[in-house]
Amino acid sequence: MSGYRLSSGGLIDRSKTLSFTFDGSPLRGFAGDTLASALLANDQLLVGRSFKYHRPRGIVSTGPSEPNALVTIGSGARTDANTKATVAELYGGLTARSQNRWPSLAFDIGAVNGVLSPFLGAGFYYKTFMWPKQFWERIYEPFIRRAAGLGRAVLERDPEAYEKSWAFCDLLVVGAGPSGLMAALTAGRAGLRVIVADEDFRLGGSLLSTSETIDGAPASVFADRTVAELQSLPNVTLLSRTTVFGWYDDNVFGAVERVQKHVAEPSSKLVSERVWRIVAKRALLATGAEERPLVFGGNDRPGVMMAGAMTTFAERYGVAAGKTVALFTSGSAGYRTARTLSAKGVAIAAIVDARAESGDQAPDGVRVIRSASIVDTKGRQRLKGIVVERSGFEELIACDALGMSGGWSPVVHLACQRGAKPVWSEALKAFAAPDVGGGLRPVGAANGIYTLAGCLSDGAEKAATIAADLGFNAVSAAVPVVDAEEASSFTALWYVPGAKSKAFVDFQNDVHAKDLGLALREGFGHVEHAKRYTTNGMATDQGKLSNINAVGILAGMRGVSPAEVGTTTFRPFYTPVSLGALAGTARDEHAAPARKSPLHGWAMKNGATFVEAGLWHRSAWFPRAGEKTWRESVDREVLNVRANVGLCDVSTLGKIEVFGPDAAEFLNRLYCNPVLKLPVGKARYGLMLREDGFVFDDGTVSRFDEAHFFVTTTTAMAGPVMAHMEYCAQALWPELEVRFTSSTDQWAQMAIAGPKARAVLQQIVDGDISDGAFPFLSARKIVLKSGVAARLFRISFSGELAFELAVPAGNGEAVADQIMEAGRPHDICAYGVEALNVLRLEKGLLTHAEFDGRVTPDDAGLGRMLSMQKVDFIGKRLSTRYGLTAADRMQLVGLKAVDADKDMRAGAHLLKEGTKPSTLNDQGWVSSAGFSPVLGHAIALAFLKSGRERYGEKVIVFDKLRDQEIVAEVCDPVFVDPQNAKLKA
Amino acid sequence: MVRDYNNRHALEQKLRSAPRPAAADHLMVGHWRAMATVLARAGQAEAVRQSIASVPELSLRFSGPGEWLVVSEVEAPSGLVRRLEELCDGGAYVVDQSDGRVVFRLTGPNVRSILAKGIGLDVHPATFSLGGSANVLCGHIPVNLARTDEDTFELIVPRSYAESLFDDLMRMGRAFDLTAAFSD
Repeated sequence: MSGYRLSSGGLIDRSKTLSFTFDGSPLRGFAGDTLASALLANDQLLVGRSFKYHRPRGIVSTGPSEPNALVTIGSGARTDANTKATVAELYGGLTARSQNRWPSLAFDIGAVNGVLSPFLGAGFYYKTFMWPKQFWERIYEPFIRRAAGLGRAVLERDPEAYEKSWAFCDLLVVGAGPSGLMAALTAGRAGLRVIVADEDFRLGGSLLSTSETIDGAPASVFADRTVAELQSLPNVTLLSRTTVFGWYDDNVFGAVERVQKHVAEPSSKLVSERVWRIVAKRALLATGAEERPLVFGGNDRPGVMMAGAMTTFAERYGVAAGKTVALFTSGSAGYRTARTLSAKGVAIAAIVDARAESGDQAPDGVRVIRSASIVDTKGRQRLKGIVVERSGFEELIACDALGMSGGWSPVVHLACQRGAKPVWSEALKAFAAPDVGGGLRPVGAANGIYTLAGCLSDGAEKAATIAADLGFNAVSAAVPVVDAEEASSFTALWYVPGAKSKAFVDFQNDVHAKDLGLALREGFGHVEHAKRYTTNGMATDQGKLSNINAVGILAGMRGVSPAEVGTTTFRPFYTPVSLGALAGTARDEHAAPARKSPLHGWAMKNGATFVEAGLWHRSAWFPRAGEKTWRESVDREVLNVRANVGLCDVSTLGKIEVFGPDAAEFLNRLYCNPVLKLPVGKARYGLMLREDGFVFDDGTVSRFDEAHFFVTTTTAMAGPVMAHMEYCAQALWPELEVRFTSSTDQWAQMAIAGPKARAVLQQIVDGDISDGAFPFLSARKIVLKSGVAARLFRISFSGELAFELAVPAGNGEAVADQIMEAGRPHDICAYGVEALNVLRLEKGLLTHAEFDGRVTPDDAGLGRMLSMQKVDFIGKRLSTRYGLTAADRMQLVGLKAVDADKDMRAGAHLLKEGTKPSTLNDQGWVSSAGFSPVLGHAIALAFLKSGRERYGEKVIVFDKLRDQEIVAEVCDPVFVDPQNAKLKA
Repeated sequence: MVRDYNNRHALEQKLRSAPRPAAADHLMVGHWRAMATVLARAGQAEAVRQSIASVPELSLRFSGPGEWLVVSEVEAPSGLVRRLEELCDGGAYVVDQSDGRVVFRLTGPNVRSILAKGIGLDVHPATFSLGGSANVLCGHIPVNLARTDEDTFELIVPRSYAESLFDDLMRMGRAFDLTAAFSD
């Protein structure tokens, strides 16, 4: 065919010429063009190669259903593969490249697959790459992976920015064609909050590509006027370049707006694409209808396209698809295209009508061949002629373009994305939208109404009904008058018999009619099986053109109605959405928020290295000059705390204030140990269980007065514990009067630990903190000498004499500075969570490394904490289950490396000496491990089968990851100061 | 409000540089604001709400059934706690959160578009009117959102999240040239 620009007409701006390149060749188009219309205007018919057989392919459609014209746009990191030329808005400087061809589009080595096609039918890979089994991963998969996929993703970092936005409305109108615009206008005038989303860069839909007139003016004028009025309404939001891709629970719609994909030089202030989550009280599906291709021999020759696409190219873009155009139709649409093209001076070779008769009017002098079909096409990389068959008589008709029309299917994807299946309509000869309730209704062509007047009035009526439903006074807008419209009809024609060459059903995945027959013969006749067996509808276009014909052909082959065959499953996304858009801003350091302690600045000043612990950035260790490894810093910090004093930031622990006359009772039921009689001014270690008797979390409970408790949780479980408490208070024991709130962020909390802790702290605390006045497990509100109101706790997670001091978060840094200053004569050091971990490990104190959800209090050596005489507590009942009290459970023990230079790692498994590593021989695992600078060798906490009876035994610590086995001695888990002499000093 | 001891704001680092002249859309960070959680005792919620609402300089932010964040621009933290305890007269428990929360005040013609980029709540005046407040997520960050004027919203965020929320808000406002500064 020979595409060319018509001398006039079209909704393009002929005064604005845009230069672009295709496969390196400089070409020109106009503002308002798509890449496809500009290519066609330049007679660039061959635009791609098909996926499997590398057949030459041309443009088929003008919309998102395009199976062939997939190109790569852009360069470098800004490369977008598999972009449909039919929806790519042309801009000056656009560079496009064809895909799936080598060395060039016109000469493609891969086309040899076409010659081999007798061997490459559906299921070829499944049947061929089955044996030998050892070839699966090393040979077959890499081979198939290389063959698979169109286009090439770039591996560079995506330089574009993306974002998401929420939107709320009374009415979402999906599609801005005649029905959508009329609905939006009606609802907008009535005062509803309306959002109109359309994937096109120009709103109007089919109004932009019809020769019909409304109220005496071209339909596009009506579209522009309506859009202008909608723009003037403050309650209406118009989103062009926005594809609604999914329909989700609660009438939430996902949409992607291409904010600046259409500009050569994007603004750095704007994102490239924006994902909208639109919460709509009501929605109208004004998505129109899709014209069906016909399945006949040679139907994939470049130059064969949808009849409706030809109309759109001519009316909207002022481009003729060819100089001599033939049409093959089973309905009115072919005639309409013939009239449009003829009126613009394009020669019509013939109209081949599959029907015996119809009332459709061909243009004057155009030959109509009825009861006929096309069985083959001629030409190689462009169409030269068609072979028409009629009652056994074949005739070659020369033409350079062929428009095909097999009728229409309403575009109902969104309505089917939440489980409802489309419903076959015998009247429409199509699958119609299912009734999914009032939240989402189809309107206009999506509702099976194919006349312009019908679409306009359906839009107005549906919107008025919604307005009334939502309590708005709908002003009945006068529906504009459509002038002289022809009736429209078609018959379904799924397959054109007598094909002399391949008759393609799915252009993009190269599935032809015979492949479907093979699927049926081999037992894959179910529509979902046939899809997977043949890959029909599995390409990037998701079968927008091919699925309906595949269903029709399967129905025909099986001798049943398409209703019985049904459709495959519709799922988001309607069209492909870039991963960047779905990620939005949540990438790199913005993937998750960072929580920073009020002592973050203090830690920075002291040279901390930070570690991410959940969302928190915690100070891990504080390297000093000359220290080359983290271990050197940590060992120094540990030894200094044991010998002198250290300060550690523990602000990240969860903190909860608990109030109420029943607070004591409430906490008594939450913890497995007794809390009820905790004296005012005292703190206590507390252990919470899950209902199933396993440890949930541990922390401290302090009592400031009769009705005010203060609870701490581990950093990681702060949220879950709070949620658990809410559940218990609201659902389990609503009769208890208790109120609580988190104060985690209010307090900067620091541990001051070491033999000299009191000497340091006494300098800044107003009041006596001697052991007599402030013994172990004291907890009081105090005042610092500086006047700051604070809380002081005598608790220790290191085994040393230790205090935890809490001050209002904003004061934290100043107070920490002051303590460091006061501690200087005592050789105070800052220590981080790594040293904290070694200190607690040396003392056999536990964290969630031990409480991993499989551990009971008894396993952890805390069995004595269970207060079984309490009436009830969470976990009590199930704690007595046989399995939880069995003597051979894994029990907490300590491990000492026998060779001082060997280390252990958490996750290693334990074996008896002389046994081979196996699940059967497994004796337990290491939960925490580290180097004890005090003892000078590696130590670990581990869970060992009946471990408490096995102190002194040697076990093998088997570390499969590092492929290392060492011998360790089982011991008491408290390695340092088992009498707690230092703690209570 | 004056504080008598060296108090470091969570955003001191972020907002240290000299502020640009405020654009139409502007983010003000409450330098020091007293704030407290008020937890009404059983059956006292309405009485507590009314007695606090009767004081014009106290702003009530709903944060749960019988639970509010009360914000004051005039009181010091300890003063606010005392004031609230007096007002509630044993009907509620009061927890100082002045150091635990940071207040962001977002104002300008595009404020709703900016908020929509992080917050899944319909803040159209018809559904979220003046005085309205709610616990929401801004991205992944828990926020108490309140409408304090036609085009002004306050976001109260736990201190530890303040830097991340600040970064997020500035990014959400980039298309509108959002500026930011301490409010006093």
